Amino acid sequence: MNRKILGFLPFLIFVFLCVFLYQGLFGNPRELQTGRLGQAMPSFNLPDLMSDQKRWTEKDLLGDVYLMNVWGTWCPTCIAELGYLTRLREQGVKIVGLYYEQAYDPDFGDHFDIHALREEVQMMLSRAGNPYQFNILDLERTLALDLGVSGAPETFLVNKQGTILLHHTGDINQRVWRNKFLPVLEELRSEN
Amino acid sequence: MKIRNVILLVVILLCSASFSEAAEDKYQFKSKEQEQTFRELTLELRCPKCQNQNIADSDAVVAKDLRDKVLTLIHEGNTKQEVIDYMIDRYGYFVHYQPPVTPATIILWVLPVVIVILGFGFIVFRQKKAAKKQLWSAEDEKMLEKLIQQYQRKERHS
Repeated sequence: MNRKILGFLPFLIFVFLCVFLYQGLFGNPRELQTGRLGQAMPSFNLPDLMSDQKRWTEKDLLGDVYLMNVWGTWCPTCIAELGYLTRLREQGVKIVGLYYEQAYDPDFGDHFDIHALREEVQMMLSRAGNPYQFNILDLERTLALDLGVSGAPETFLVNKQGTILLHHTGDINQRVWRNKFLPVLEELRSEN
Repeated sequence: MKIRNVILLVVILLCSASFSEAAEDKYQFKSKEQEQTFRELTLELRCPKCQNQNIADSDAVVAKDLRDKVLTLIHEGNTKQEVIDYMIDRYGYFVHYQPPVTPATIILWVLPVVIVILGFGFIVFRQKKAAKKQLWSAEDEKMLEKLIQQYQRKERHS
């Protein structure tokens, strides 16, 4: 009896390893979660992308459930998701853009011109759709670092109290929206 | 031929030395300890974008941002552990190459120990079993003698 169990042991280890490695094949290592999940939106004071006078702080965003979408015109995936995000806006989802700029950094760009950037953004949004209520310009990527952003596109779901509920790395499409965002949104709606 | 190889090697070594010096010049430190801490941290912190590279090694934008932040935090007088905690707060445990001991990761520490203990247990078990088989009693001795005598008798008869 004992011997029979021992004889099966290598087989069991083999099965366990197969399951473990099989999962690894389809796991997405880029699907990272910010350490900020369940915490308040970090405090910030940043300019609007389109206007020098207007500034935004985390307090301006309280009172609404919203998506904060990290994007840039240099990022092809961000452009690709603009269409779907615009459809979400039409359904009444509030989306705030966090503009992730690289060229401002002397290590990654030769020159930076805010007017040229505004023109480029305007052109891109009029062509692909504009999902944003407004865009926050994070030139030094300080808010991005505080949020644990590793690149673009990334999206955060924030509730009325300013708590970060979800963090998604990569583009938002119908599948991601249905599986990841909608359940949390519906839970929020049922609470109210 | 050999001399040429040696010269080539020296030139290569000199070039690489000057390269690494150039990289170090970019960051200014107040003390040797700060520089040491910075070097250790950039080797230990993992780039969230180019995963499998540390932030010292990666050219990603986020790796550069993290390097700069580490530098600022060190200049502000933070300890190594404080900088690590700052990064984990933002990027999660992923950002540090040393995983913390949590209920989910405890298996990493326990499993090797368990395997070693099981292995030793198995060896001891087998040895005990083998030792038991070798037990030789007086009865066995008598039985053996009897068998030998029987056999010898048979041989004599034949």
